[in-house]
Amino acid sequence: MEIHQSSLVISLILLSGLVATCYGVPFTSLNKTIGITATPSIPSGQVLKGGESTLTISWSLNATSSVGIDTSDYRTVEIKLCYAPISQKDRGWRRTEEELQKDKTCQHKIVERPYNPSNNMYTATIKKDVPSATYFVRLYVHNSHEEVVAFGDTTDAMKMTNLFEVVAVTGRSIGLDIASVCFSAFSIISMLGFFILEKRRAKT
Amino acid sequence: MQPPSKTTPFSLPVDSDHKATKFRPFTISPPHMRAFHLAWISLFSCFFSTFAIPPLLPAIRRDLHLTAADVGRAGVASFAGSIFSRLAMGPICDLLGPCAATAAFSLLTAPAVLSASFMSNSTSFIVIRFLIGFSLANFVACQFWMSSMFSNNVVAVANGVAAGWASVGSGFTQLVMPLIYSFLINTVNLSSSTAWRVAFFVPAFFQTVTALMVLAFGQDLPDGKYKRSSNITGQISKENAFTILLNGLKNYRGWILGLTYGFCFGVELTTDNILAQYFYERFNLDIKTAGAIAASFGLANIVSRPAGGLVSDEMGRRFGMRGRLWSLWVVQTAAGLLCFLLGRSNSLWGSVLVVCCFSFFVQAASGLTFGVVPFVSKRSLGVISGMTGSGGTIGAVITQLLLFSGSSGNYMSTQTSISLMGILMVFCTLPLTLLYFPHSGGMFCRPNYPPTHQQHYDHLLQCQ
Repeated sequence: MEIHQSSLVISLILLSGLVATCYGVPFTSLNKTIGITATPSIPSGQVLKGGESTLTISWSLNATSSVGIDTSDYRTVEIKLCYAPISQKDRGWRRTEEELQKDKTCQHKIVERPYNPSNNMYTATIKKDVPSATYFVRLYVHNSHEEVVAFGDTTDAMKMTNLFEVVAVTGRSIGLDIASVCFSAFSIISMLGFFILEKRRAKT
Repeated sequence: MQPPSKTTPFSLPVDSDHKATKFRPFTISPPHMRAFHLAWISLFSCFFSTFAIPPLLPAIRRDLHLTAADVGRAGVASFAGSIFSRLAMGPICDLLGPCAATAAFSLLTAPAVLSASFMSNSTSFIVIRFLIGFSLANFVACQFWMSSMFSNNVVAVANGVAAGWASVGSGFTQLVMPLIYSFLINTVNLSSSTAWRVAFFVPAFFQTVTALMVLAFGQDLPDGKYKRSSNITGQISKENAFTILLNGLKNYRGWILGLTYGFCFGVELTTDNILAQYFYERFNLDIKTAGAIAASFGLANIVSRPAGGLVSDEMGRRFGMRGRLWSLWVVQTAAGLLCFLLGRSNSLWGSVLVVCCFSFFVQAASGLTFGVVPFVSKRSLGVISGMTGSGGTIGAVITQLLLFSGSSGNYMSTQTSISLMGILMVFCTLPLTLLYFPHSGGMFCRPNYPPTHQQHYDHLLQCQ
């Protein structure tokens, strides 16, 4: 009872703080109460293709890690595709920041659903605009005030396990290549043409 | 002493060389003003192409899996390409004339712009940016052309307006390329990866069209095609070209102006490359707003560089070369101090305000530099212009490598780098005090020789 009361007080304080700062929540203040798994549609060791491959994601409230935490305010869940550390290296535009508002780890939204403690599943197709990189899946739980209160990861705390690689669709096409070559040829031929014309004029 | 001819067919008043003594940028009277418009528009298209990549970087780096180091290296490569081409452009202008030289460079680099659609990894990205950078050599041809068309009393303002309006291309592209990209994604429904590739057709097309216009409608000199005084025997012509090159390289003033130009125009180029990223990452603006701020930095060139040219001509009129040198030193030092201030500014609006002032002063300094260059050597004008122009891009490479490349990012933040750049600017402007012209003096010295007959006549022209 006492544990419940003190944790309620703590979560109330946290919540009131959150109301003031809206989405500017530090990541370390979140509780990892959701267990989530993502299974690619292809055997492990292979790469997922953008626009084609699918991920089957299932999630539920983790009974052991949610002990003593008030989950009554969980309203919606948002599932995102996040960059693994190897894809963040030397790429400041994908870096992990403590403050969620500034955090750029998870830039690709998969789906948003109402919160349900158990029996959740969703099959997502990797979108075409997802760039080639190594990823994991993260779930954020929002409360009724649209603030993030909890999360779940498909990977461990070091973000080393259960990662998967995506290969994006390239934008190059034969038509584009041919157009480029033709235009370039036109450019060079017109230059040579003018110079030859000049030489002929100079001779006459 | 021959008075200016009043019976020539030119619509502008001219001197004995038929160079215009008045500058009217809102007319297109041939040959002077038409040459001016062709020159600045074709140079504008080169700036447009060279700086078309930075605004689309978020899409390109996603597609090509680039790291911050790759992006930095490519930025350096784009300037490195222009260093050699600007040096080469000097003698090429002396040989072929500015029209042919400009058109040739534009038409030969248009395929490089189109090849941007072939890029698939970081190596090709760096190579393409290197090749596209070659087109910035047209700057030297533009200044050479203006110095051939306009007389001493308006040469600085002609150079300043031409280069200033052309430099707007670097800002204009930051606004237009994202718009083209959005249009291709939203209206034409292309994927992001295809859209940015197709977008590069626009700068390539623009560059080709302007080059063809220069070939069709431009002329090198008020009297017609550029001709070397030795059309008669090819041997004399070869000797002249080499002597002209050596003559230019031996002139210490070319080196000093190259250094100081490196720290006004070079700094401007580096800032073009890093400003959008800086505002995007430091103040958490969205990409369009950050792009707009970076664009306004380039767009300020419409007025700031011509203002520099105007100030140079006015100071030249009142105080001769001394006035030109002093105004250049004051404006460039002020720019350096403002750059230092930009790095120290912690608020968004403070930074925006400082960026506005900084853009004005640094671009005016560029205009003022080319108010001094035409007077260094009449014989080796192309070579001196090439050395100065090249120095500009060398300065860009040095500042980008030292302060804004991937490795330096580990030791200091971008704002510290910007402040350091400002301090470097102030120090590297000091060599201006060493410039000395025998007939006009220097910043601290009077002229040693009395003005000759020709100088006296030139001085009279300036007073009209």
